[in-house]
Amino acid sequence: MKPASIDLWHEVQQFLFREARLLDERRFDEWLALLADDIFYFMPILQNRHRHEADRESTRVGELGIFDEDRTSLANRIARLKTGMAWAEAPPSRTRHYVSNVEVEHTERDDELLVRSAMLVYRSHLEHDEEWFPGRREDVLRRVGDDWRIARRTITLDQTVLQAKGLSIFF
Amino acid sequence: MQASAEPSYHALADTDAGWIDRRVYWDEQIYARELERVFARCWLLVGHECQVPNAHDFFTSYMGEDPVIVTRDEHGTLHCFLNMCRHRGNRVCRADSGNARSFLCSFHGWSYASDGSLDGVPGERNIYMGKLDTKALGLVKVAQLDTYKGLIFATFDPEAPSLREYLGDMAWYLDIMLDRRAGGTEFVQGTHKWMMPSNWKFPADNFVGDTYHGLTTHIAAMKSGFMGMPQRKVAYGYEGYQVNPGGGHGLGGRWAEEPAHYLEFALPEFVEYDRARLPEAEARLGAARAWKFAPIHGTVFPNMSLLFQSGMIRVWHPRGPGRSEVWSWCVVDKAAPEAIKREMMRHELQRHGPSGTWDTDDVDNWVQCTTSCTGAVSRRYANNLQMGLGNEETNPELRGALGKFNSENNQRGFYRQWAGLMSNEPWSGLAAGGAR
Repeated sequence: MKPASIDLWHEVQQFLFREARLLDERRFDEWLALLADDIFYFMPILQNRHRHEADRESTRVGELGIFDEDRTSLANRIARLKTGMAWAEAPPSRTRHYVSNVEVEHTERDDELLVRSAMLVYRSHLEHDEEWFPGRREDVLRRVGDDWRIARRTITLDQTVLQAKGLSIFF
Repeated sequence: MQASAEPSYHALADTDAGWIDRRVYWDEQIYARELERVFARCWLLVGHECQVPNAHDFFTSYMGEDPVIVTRDEHGTLHCFLNMCRHRGNRVCRADSGNARSFLCSFHGWSYASDGSLDGVPGERNIYMGKLDTKALGLVKVAQLDTYKGLIFATFDPEAPSLREYLGDMAWYLDIMLDRRAGGTEFVQGTHKWMMPSNWKFPADNFVGDTYHGLTTHIAAMKSGFMGMPQRKVAYGYEGYQVNPGGGHGLGGRWAEEPAHYLEFALPEFVEYDRARLPEAEARLGAARAWKFAPIHGTVFPNMSLLFQSGMIRVWHPRGPGRSEVWSWCVVDKAAPEAIKREMMRHELQRHGPSGTWDTDDVDNWVQCTTSCTGAVSRRYANNLQMGLGNEETNPELRGALGKFNSENNQRGFYRQWAGLMSNEPWSGLAAGGAR
């Protein structure tokens, strides 16, 4: 597939940066509005495998994931945070989503792009707790009018044993 | 330095009065003795047979802080041994799972077959002059290994009772999850693994008998579309039982007078499946276990916990007094349709994995309980476990000692077993069916 133009690359990056800011500013409903109705949001589990079985390093769709979500379950996760009694986020944690290494490719569909990016998410919780989530994302962005919607997102964290109390945030 | 006198563990865990000294959660010496007296003595869950279906399949696991490898050898026999080279102690396997005919130590090249025997030492003739006793230097095997309905357990204690005896009546209850349908259960491929800065006993205690926390801890999940428990009569004082089958194990569940009530307990997404499998379950298990008693949560002493309806089995690996590593699996009926398996898995991970809307709200409770133990003054106050003291129930169709649905009788049983093991009491008084 041919790489996108610099203008398109810039536009996609701005979209991803805006999306990251909405999460960091806890504007979750606005973030949800950026997801397509048929969003598939998946985070596999990584496992240490010998080199000759490296294709099994990551669990696949249909196997156990860390996130395996549609729009309804993501909306429910946001509703949960809004109750004010989701104790993992009450008081809420502070996050910073860093997005880089953005690659944009055209796909077979005129209205969809394949977007790969690297991410580093920082979470500060309560007084002393700090968590870092390095990983990569592979998104399918769909053109809707002048804007984009995320139609598919696969997030792969670079850890086999997650060094975190839990994932009560979005990626 | 003078060694301090050992405390009385039955005084620290005063289960008759319902008080637990917080020292059991922070004391480094107590933790070191737990590894010896609890984790190196008890039967521990290491995995499921479905993780090693073929010859030379393996996965790595832990028994306490001891890393182990579980293999199936070329004859189909299961083995479990320390993941530790007999030469310098290097780990011989660094992968989580796979298929391997042998395990090559990356340090000096000693290699071990999938049955654990030492089958290669570089320079055995030229360097060791044939004087190395290779027969005696196989990987260190567990003292006993056995399976229960697909689950693989092992113990390092040759004196421990058989697995069936160790589980006692808890096995009868485990069948409600593991033996509802012909073919039993399997783990969905993939293991959730994450670290939490909590003593391992807080979550084990939570799962052994704490239905009480549900409506406070999990209120947000329940209100936002993540019902993880039966819907009927969401209120304290609901009919049902905490069951203490002895041996430190425990589980809690609801009681139905007729099958329709049982189906009201069923998770809404799976009501139809539950209805469809009910006749088979009743034929296999009888009415009491097929639908009258519907367990929700449980702990197999010391560190295996489960959620019967959500299809979850997990282990809390101890990692020091203030840290635990969670390994959690999704369990499904092997005979279930693929669509049900997939839905069960999504249900499970959205509630009980590292991103679980239930689990994430539990963890900080346990973390804060662990942390509060460190204050010099906080340490002086004991944790309270008096709920339901002296209020035991009976039901001729169930086994074990019963408490009300909200009761801490299972936690008291859990800590009584803990204190017995820590006091080096013999197995004769510790096995399930013994002390409750």
